[in-house]
Amino acid sequence: MPIDIYWRIGTHGDQQSLRRRVSSRGEWAPVVPGSLTPGVRDGRRDGYSYVDHMADVARASESSGFVGGLLPSFPFTDDPWAAAAALARETTTYRFMIAYQPGFLHPVQAARMSASLQRVTGGRVVYNIISGGGGPAQLWWGDRVDHDDRYARTSEFLDVLKGVWNGGPFDYEGRFYQVEGAGLPEPLARQPFPEIYFSGSSKAAIEAAGRHADYYLSWLEPFPELAAKFVQVREHSAALGRAPKFAVRIDVLARETEEAAWDEIRRGWTHVDQAALRSPDGDSVGWLRSQSFVSWPVRDYRELEVSPNVWSGFHLLRGGPAFGLVGSYEQVAERLDELIGIGVDAFILAGVPHLEEAYRVGEEVLPLLRGHDIRQASPLSPHTSLSVAKGTI
Amino acid sequence: MTDSPDFLIPVPTRGDGRDPLRRDRGDWQPAARRPLPALVTDLRPGAFGPFEHLAQIGRAAEIAGLGGALVPFDPAGEESLVVAAGLLRQSRHLRVVAGFHPGIATPVYAAKFSASLQRFVDNRLGWQVDIGLDPAIARSQGDFLQGADRYARAEEFLTVARGVWNEEGYTYEGRFYQVLAGGFQPPNSGLPFPRVYLTGTSSDALAVSARHADVHLFTGDQDVAAGIAELGARSAEAGRRLEYGLRLPVLARDDDDEAWDEARRLWNIIGGTGDGLPDPDPRTGLWHGFGRIADSAKPGLVGSYETVAAGIRGYLDQGVTTFVLEARPHIEETYRLGERLLPLFAKEIEHAH
Ligand SMILES: Cc1cc2nc3c(=O)[nH]c(=O)nc-3n(C[C@H](O)[C@H](O)[C@H](O)COP(=O)(O)O)c2cc1C
Repeated sequence: MPIDIYWRIGTHGDQQSLRRRVSSRGEWAPVVPGSLTPGVRDGRRDGYSYVDHMADVARASESSGFVGGLLPSFPFTDDPWAAAAALARETTTYRFMIAYQPGFLHPVQAARMSASLQRVTGGRVVYNIISGGGGPAQLWWGDRVDHDDRYARTSEFLDVLKGVWNGGPFDYEGRFYQVEGAGLPEPLARQPFPEIYFSGSSKAAIEAAGRHADYYLSWLEPFPELAAKFVQVREHSAALGRAPKFAVRIDVLARETEEAAWDEIRRGWTHVDQAALRSPDGDSVGWLRSQSFVSWPVRDYRELEVSPNVWSGFHLLRGGPAFGLVGSYEQVAERLDELIGIGVDAFILAGVPHLEEAYRVGEEVLPLLRGHDIRQASPLSPHTSLSVAKGTI
Repeated sequence: MTDSPDFLIPVPTRGDGRDPLRRDRGDWQPAARRPLPALVTDLRPGAFGPFEHLAQIGRAAEIAGLGGALVPFDPAGEESLVVAAGLLRQSRHLRVVAGFHPGIATPVYAAKFSASLQRFVDNRLGWQVDIGLDPAIARSQGDFLQGADRYARAEEFLTVARGVWNEEGYTYEGRFYQVLAGGFQPPNSGLPFPRVYLTGTSSDALAVSARHADVHLFTGDQDVAAGIAELGARSAEAGRRLEYGLRLPVLARDDDDEAWDEARRLWNIIGGTGDGLPDPDPRTGLWHGFGRIADSAKPGLVGSYETVAAGIRGYLDQGVTTFVLEARPHIEETYRLGERLLPLFAKEIEHAH
């Protein structure tokens, strides 16, 4: 099975580097000389907006070897459906992994939008199904449904979406959704169904993932914990006769030498104010897990290196999850190989700034991957155990 | 004339790369491209044409707020007028200067091509006319003219191009070109003529510049002050006023140490001989090591954004207003220049408008 490697696109602007947590690309900061999209030209705004930068990141990603990108969705971001629709015709092979929470969009409408987008893009839509982190952000969206019920709703949502996909009539009577005589019209019906990357670390999430995930997508965690989570997902899915693949979302800071990579972190760290740090309020099990691997506060950035090259402080240097890889090109490739070894089939990588780092990682890190030889040899490998069980080794 | 600086980047029409000598971007060194391992999905083969990489550089210049891009005349590289057309069409603001030499076409044809392009792109095309080509390269392009004749022809070329551009019923009888009742008609008439960029330090070159250049471009190894003085006097005689430009390699980082560390890193990639990094010229501040780490062998500036800006200000004070800033890899470094260096000139730029 080939490994699919994606490159995230920021949907709320970007920084010049991890050295300073200041956005200068997109409309999330005042437009001053040096701002990009919009920029200042001859003392006036140049007429560009952040979508123009997203388009360049998408093109940089596809030309440096990534299959597409994850477009996140939060209250303060641009909307990923709108971004995908806008960028569809400006890209060639780029797959749009649209992050969205079922519940804010009716599944029949989601099906219609997806089918049209599949027609526009030639089948380049991928879903990142997320079910929300609760707290004020959930209420911001107008959603009062509690944690486990959100997953129940997600599950129903996907049942309806799949139900109408190939045409109708489709009837459904659920707790959250009801439809009667539904179905996509010709010629929207029977487009290729988007691959589902399913996220969530809670029990409810893993159960729903068992039913719907093509890929179970996690943030990066220490490798043994990640492998254990994959085992859980694998067991739940097997009970339903399904076998999802696995994907990990990872920030990457790779440089020619390990020293140069840590030097970037060091420069960013001088601006971090740990006292001002607050975990987001909410019910996200995944986030609590990610914070549980370190004891806060820390005195030094290297204390956040939970195992070689695995660093859990990225959220201090830019918005987003905590875990990522820091090291030389070779080291980062080795860690990715190890992850392939424990069963990872797809990566969503990211780096700041996204445009420049897409070139770097595509040119310097991806060509170093070895992958399959390692997967066969890994003690944690699902393939190994399967072969052993069958007595083929 | 204004003292607002205008910043351009050169467009690498023979590939680009992260490190010196590396040209794995674009399709100029297919063998240099490191393939993805077989286990990784690669959707690229067949999906991207060779222009994609240049298009990304052009967009970087547009988005990063550069004034323009210069596509060089390079017989061994991509054709400059075609590249310029592509870059102009995909941008709204960027001015693109296409390099060529007078032997590539008749002046009428060059003007005709350019008139269409001016209409297509809202008059953002410029010409860099390369007159003093290396004789062997000129011959390889079918051009056997030598010495002062090349300047005489260039003089006629630019005269005729402007003639047909500006005058219906234009007639010209010269040594190299003749036109009878030529001249463009609407809608190809009445357009702004491409801004003309010329180079060279010989007396012949300066004479052509004085009469025909809008911008005369120098390099850091030339005596810029003397050149400006001479051209100022000669162009005044011709009743004209020129602008002056400089091709300038730059390596700018957050601080001087980081910039010099990077210079050293690039220097050592090519090294192996153990020879040390040269120091910048104490008088001019120019560093002469770019020949080994960059596309051009001309001297340039290394240092913090502030250091590089100070060097550029020194030239601004002498009357240089156009800067062709060379840095590779072009996409990343163009972003860097737009985000970090250009804002240091915000006052000058705002003042001029
Ligand atoms: C890879 C990944 C991407 C995510 N992207 C988003 C996002 O774009 N928007 C969002 O609101 N939540 C996002 N989340 C968070 C989820 O909505 C959810 O809060 C999280 O997975 C915790 O779920 P749990 O409580 O089941 O562990 C993401 C989670 C993961 C693992």
